[in-house]
Amino acid sequence: MKRDAPNLDELLRATPGDAGCTAGEGILDAYVELELAGQDPAITYPGTAVHLKACPGCRADHDGLLAAARLFGGIEPE
Amino acid sequence: MRENHPRRDQTIAKLHDILVRVAVHELNRRRTQLGSLAGPEFDDLAHQAADDALLSILGKLGDFRGLSRFTTWAYKFAMLEVSSKVARHTWQRQPPSDEDLTWDRLPDNLAPQPDDQLERRQQLAILAAAIGQLSERQRTVFVAIALNEVPIDVLAVKLGTNRNAIYKNLFDARRSLRAALASGGHPLSEEDVTKG
Repeated sequence: MKRDAPNLDELLRATPGDAGCTAGEGILDAYVELELAGQDPAITYPGTAVHLKACPGCRADHDGLLAAARLFGGIEPE
Repeated sequence: MRENHPRRDQTIAKLHDILVRVAVHELNRRRTQLGSLAGPEFDDLAHQAADDALLSILGKLGDFRGLSRFTTWAYKFAMLEVSSKVARHTWQRQPPSDEDLTWDRLPDNLAPQPDDQLERRQQLAILAAAIGQLSERQRTVFVAIALNEVPIDVLAVKLGTNRNAIYKNLFDARRSLRAALASGGHPLSEEDVTKG
């Protein structure tokens, strides 16, 4: 049986320009809003776009926020 | 939601209800990390996340700059609370073992195999040696997250720090390992060639 060997380029992803977790946390909502509008958030937030490809924690938060905004975005508390 | 607004309490209650729904949805999305958590305990975790998210939102209303819909901004706090609470729950239920954090050898799915091409075997030999050369902290973080798939937030709880600090260690480890591969004649990208 063929084993599922990880891609080393993916495993060792360390792209220059990575904005890190803290910077992305501040603008994650704006990033997701651009995606929902069909725009490319990497143009406005290139460092966070790089980061989301490499950080599993921030990627999970991003994916969850995108899903929540799609599912519950039409609800306004006020 | 401003102070003294006549519908403030009503609006906050409605927002809290939505945050609970968002938290439940997100906890279900991350269910694989929650083990057998279900029923009242699951609901309690969702309510805790919504309660704490609401506190953050009310404390930071002045920071909302309108770069997204208000709801998207608000849901972000629910995501952060769910992340944190899932990590703590996972940590209590199934903390990373010493084996998850200790460097011994490449895991089975990375260990050289008889049918590997020569180049792959050379890459893996360089990688194994370079992991041994990382600082202790970088090695612990890389081995746990990249090789043993320990969630980054669970490792942050284990090491008493935060996600950003762990990610910095991971990034530096990955960069060192890429550089080692490039120095050994096996760059992973064009960029590594120019650096090497």
